[in-house]
Amino acid sequence: MVVHDTDACPPAGDGPARQREIREEILRLRALLREARRPRRTAPAAELSVLPPPVPASDWETRLATAEELNAQLRASEAFTARLLAASRDDIQVLALDGTIQWRSEGGRANAAEAAAGTRWAEACTLWAEAWPEPADRRAADLALAAARAGRTGRFRAPSGPPESPRWWDVVVSPIQGADGAPERLLTVARDVTEAHRAEEQQALLMQEMAHRVKNTLALVQAVAAQTLRSATSLEAATDAFNGRLMALADAHDVLIRGAWAEADLAAVVAGAMAPHIDAVQDRCAAAGPPVALGPRAVLTLSLMLHELATNAAKYGALSSPAGRVAIAWTIRDAAPPPAGDGRAMLRLHWRESGGPPVVPPTRCGFGSRLIERSLVHSFGGRVALRFPPEGAEMELEAPLAALQDGAA
Amino acid sequence: MTSDPDRPPQELLHGETRQGEDLRREETDAPPVVLLVEDDGLLLMEAADTLAEAGFTVLEAPHADQALAVLESRADVEVLMTDVDMPLGSMNGFALARLVSRRWPRIPVLVVSGMGSPGPHDMPPGARFIPKPYAPSALVRTLHATVRRAA
Repeated sequence: MVVHDTDACPPAGDGPARQREIREEILRLRALLREARRPRRTAPAAELSVLPPPVPASDWETRLATAEELNAQLRASEAFTARLLAASRDDIQVLALDGTIQWRSEGGRANAAEAAAGTRWAEACTLWAEAWPEPADRRAADLALAAARAGRTGRFRAPSGPPESPRWWDVVVSPIQGADGAPERLLTVARDVTEAHRAEEQQALLMQEMAHRVKNTLALVQAVAAQTLRSATSLEAATDAFNGRLMALADAHDVLIRGAWAEADLAAVVAGAMAPHIDAVQDRCAAAGPPVALGPRAVLTLSLMLHELATNAAKYGALSSPAGRVAIAWTIRDAAPPPAGDGRAMLRLHWRESGGPPVVPPTRCGFGSRLIERSLVHSFGGRVALRFPPEGAEMELEAPLAALQDGAA
Repeated sequence: MTSDPDRPPQELLHGETRQGEDLRREETDAPPVVLLVEDDGLLLMEAADTLAEAGFTVLEAPHADQALAVLESRADVEVLMTDVDMPLGSMNGFALARLVSRRWPRIPVLVVSGMGSPGPHDMPPGARFIPKPYAPSALVRTLHATVRRAA
């Protein structure tokens, strides 16, 4: 790109013009001073009548000193303005009305140098609007120029630099007014808003992700409601069962949110699912096993499964009598010995009730047992056995750890 | 799903499916076979129950690879209904839908998902999309219409 320096092409305003006037004035005054100090020859009478009355040399010297001081002030002011522009990280450019670049701030020149080779920014663009890589942004730039030419302010946001890691700019184009008040040149100020732009993109992505999760959760609640109604014996039973399941899902969400919806420890999932069903009796529920991180889908499924088992235990099983106990234990069994751990590790979880009333196997297959028997097998490729020996209900499940740890909700 | 608490839900569902004139004709035919591809066991259970009650024969697959195995092993599948996100398989529901419409062009495809609407190149031509969650009756109507059109 073509960059003119400040002296070759003054940026704006009447400063340099005024300075030129003052320089000329100083030259004129110096000439007059030289004239005044020169010994006077006798001039013809006719000439004397048109000449101004002689001014004393001291007066000329005072006027010269004033002019030189003024000049020094202007130089200082100009240097300050230059430093001001150089201090700005913004990409400031002055354009002719036709969009030709006439001057670019130091910050802008640094940006141009920073932009990777091969992008349009690195090429020699004399037309400012042509420097934007995207055709749509070049159109936006042209519109902003047109607005500024019409005396208004044009504004747009556009990327530059390599497409894989662009820098984003908030660009304002405004008219520089001439002495007659009409736009004489155009000022463009591009501010780097890359960070803010990335944050906005991140936020949009999060919103999308959240919408997706909410829809999936609603679909899950819909399925729980429909399944509850299908297998309910009465409306009251359906209401109770549905509320219990909804609460179990809510508790599972709490556990998941504590893990930033990425993973949750199995012990926390078990504790969360059992908490509503455990009364004040000490050690009614014993949970033991190594730390296991589970993905969101597994957390929701296992929470619902444990809720169904616990509800059943509270109604008919070990949790329905003061002496009853529930033991939940899990282990990880690696198909290949560590450290080969090749993703074929299996989680084995055991639910065993004891000390409750003698178990009578259920006569019909309710939501809980269907969920347990189908959901885990189907969702995670595991296997599960639900048994009702007289001494207490038992469930044994085994599923590939990798499937249980998948990150999708 | 049901707004009348005095009637058992199953009865209501059957009542709903009988409302459609076209569905009555379907009842005299052999039940249409639908292949249901859904990774969530609970959602699959509910969709399978809904479709079975509406007169479909339901085949189930938890991911795309198993769905393809089912399609390769039997010739009676009349319609494919697939979810999109299925982490266990080697492809998602959109890729499965496109593959099925190329390899088995006579099998119509219905894609269901909670992820908004599909992108411009996600769906194969002629496939239908239903956002999750959906009204069970709307799903049944759409599937019946899809099967009828393909016949």
